[in-house]
Amino acid sequence: MSELAVAVFAAETGSHLIRAPRDPRFRSFCASFDEAAYRARLAAAGLRWVARTAASFPARLRAIHDPPPGLFVRGAAELSLLDRPSVAVVGARACSSYGAEVAGQLASELARAGVLVVSGLARGVDAAAHRGALDAGRTVAVLGCGIDRDYPRAHAHLASRIAADGLILSEYAPGVEPAPWRFPARNRIVAGLARATVVVEARERSGALITADLALDEGREVMAVPGEITSHLSHGTNALLRLGATPVTCAADVLEAIGVEPAPQTPVPPVEPRLAVIHASVVDAPAGVDELVRRTGLDAAHVSAVLTELELLGLVAEAGGVYRGVMR
Amino acid sequence: MLARTVTHALVGLNPCAVEVEAHLQRGIPSFAIVGLADRACQEAKHRVRSGIASAELDWPTKRITVNLAPAGLRKEGSAFDLPIALAVLAASDQLPPDALEDHAAFGELALDGRLRPVAGALVAAEGARRAGLTRLVCPLESAPEVALAGVEPVAAHHLAEAVAYLRGERDPPAAPAVYDLPDAPPGPDLADVRGQERARRALEIAAAGGHNLLLVGPPGIGKTMLARRLPGILPPLDDDAALQVTRIHSVAGVLPPGAGLVRVPPFRAPHHTASAAAVVGGGPGPRPGEASLAHGGVLYLDELPEFPRPVLEALREPLEDGVVSVVRVGGRAVFPARFQLVGTMNLCPCGARGDPGTACVCTPQRIERYRERLSRALLDRFDLVLAVPRPRGSELAGARGESSTDVRTRVLLAREHLALVSSPLADDASALLTAAVERLSLSARGRARTLRVAHTIAALAGADVVGASHVGEALSYRPPAELTA
Repeated sequence: MSELAVAVFAAETGSHLIRAPRDPRFRSFCASFDEAAYRARLAAAGLRWVARTAASFPARLRAIHDPPPGLFVRGAAELSLLDRPSVAVVGARACSSYGAEVAGQLASELARAGVLVVSGLARGVDAAAHRGALDAGRTVAVLGCGIDRDYPRAHAHLASRIAADGLILSEYAPGVEPAPWRFPARNRIVAGLARATVVVEARERSGALITADLALDEGREVMAVPGEITSHLSHGTNALLRLGATPVTCAADVLEAIGVEPAPQTPVPPVEPRLAVIHASVVDAPAGVDELVRRTGLDAAHVSAVLTELELLGLVAEAGGVYRGVMR
Repeated sequence: MLARTVTHALVGLNPCAVEVEAHLQRGIPSFAIVGLADRACQEAKHRVRSGIASAELDWPTKRITVNLAPAGLRKEGSAFDLPIALAVLAASDQLPPDALEDHAAFGELALDGRLRPVAGALVAAEGARRAGLTRLVCPLESAPEVALAGVEPVAAHHLAEAVAYLRGERDPPAAPAVYDLPDAPPGPDLADVRGQERARRALEIAAAGGHNLLLVGPPGIGKTMLARRLPGILPPLDDDAALQVTRIHSVAGVLPPGAGLVRVPPFRAPHHTASAAAVVGGGPGPRPGEASLAHGGVLYLDELPEFPRPVLEALREPLEDGVVSVVRVGGRAVFPARFQLVGTMNLCPCGARGDPGTACVCTPQRIERYRERLSRALLDRFDLVLAVPRPRGSELAGARGESSTDVRTRVLLAREHLALVSSPLADDASALLTAAVERLSLSARGRARTLRVAHTIAALAGADVVGASHVGEALSYRPPAELTA
């Protein structure tokens, strides 16, 4: 009775199983299940299966109290990728542009330091984290649906980029439809794979908080990015901080927590003097063009032109007409 | 007895000569109108009969047949009342036989014999001029339009007045003086807008370059207020454009009574429940829609994604070619529709996104659906996309801004500059543009759009070379990544 049979049986009965059930139907299923043929079909589809008992199964994930029977795997990388120090970057799907910016920046710097970024391929923070990590290295996505599905559909391209030299994982066999209850289950795998979980933005009741809880249950580090106390999107993260999560203000905070040396910093060139006034003002506090006109006394045309240059230099980012400084 | 009058029916924006023949025969008294006349036109029978009686003239007790020729053309509306009445009067010898020579007629009759204005007098008068007719009998209110077409209006208040003139009993009534709508911008003034420097600047660039403008931001921050002030800073219409706009407005019946040429660029703001036919034109007789009424001016679409997709897609033709061609069973018409499009939208359906003070309750799927309602093709038509954040309280308490007249002066200079010189791109400007193409993944279309706007900005600055700061500013009006992703 193999773990693969358990996973396929779970998929066919639409249930969630972590070990062989005592169910007569399972016994009759096992009798008719042709494992070799199933593996051949998986291989033909470019998919792999790694059982919980296999040596290549990630040790950190095996250590959680309800590890999946095994993982379906898509992507070019070896499974040993998962043994690297890894950090889960998770957060709200409906995040703010600030949240997306921070997630992307963090993930990219973590990846540069050789840390594997794990997330859930969802919209918002998850996708920003994957994209940021791809800029500097490889990343792993864990799905809450069958391994053959790209969910959400809009992220099919992102998924193919991740699979190109990273990994996409799922405990669910091909053909399993996404369902709301599968995502919290997916989160335990995200948290279980990572040494530390960073929550970037989360509302009061967010799936990202479930991931944080699960990480805490397994004794992993939980970290949160502080947000404005007036924003709904910070209620969840600020609540985590109040409970004792480690605040994250830069990638180095995360690296320190998991004991990884940061990548050597490239010295940051100073901002050109003609751009400096406006840059300093934006870094002080995010503002729209009109606000900057009032602060600096320059005209709107000039301010707009300078902001575009700063944006091209990657020193400021714009969203909804409001510019803010970018972490360096 | 047979008598004829000439009038002109509207086919789209073009006049088509219609001969109104009245034939009186002996027999049981009756009155029939033939020649593909629609309902309003058939009802002329009752108005004409009462009008003639009210003018203390005689209704012939004969068998009366009125034919509207060419009989194959559909006749619509009430403008045939006056020509029918005059033809019947001439056929019954109540007018001298040659009185109607050189005269066209156009107008509706009231039951008490008064003449009422009908839409399209300008076009009917142009038809009369082309047909070589020198005078047009019309209601008083239509006289300025008739005069614009170069035809002498015989402006009558009452059918009896028109008859007295045609009998030679009195001089032609003096036409009221034609006046242009006042030249100074009559609309709301830009000085009322406090703060909002960036939006004012974008409005000025849009006016100078004739660019389409999309305002993006939470509700209640003055997007509509800004858009309404765009016509006030546009240059007044030149003679040809003014005549064309007046013609369209005349046919649509939206010309203010007694007004002459429309010199001020029009502003049209159809609601998002408007149908495609109402926006681009249509109907059985084809009539111009809002897009044509905005010809030479501004078409303002508030809450752009709320408009049905077919309406937005139908706007692509006029945005591209400046004309709308309407093909119907009843006929085909081409209406000019070269307008500047100003649209507004929120960042999400509930409107709270981009507003730090409120929480957005939209799901990502809803936001995606909302944004998908705007096709890329339409989004590409907006040279300027402006994200407007909610202004702070202190900003709204600021001083009054520059007046529309001052801004318009700069716009006029920039337009002259644009027409005369084509400025080359400076080296640092083209380097900046290349960097933008790479870093911001600007498409080829986006690059061309940025260049157009940069040229306008340079013209506003009176510069002979498009510099880096011009390109930089132009780039700041590109669509936000959230809309293009």
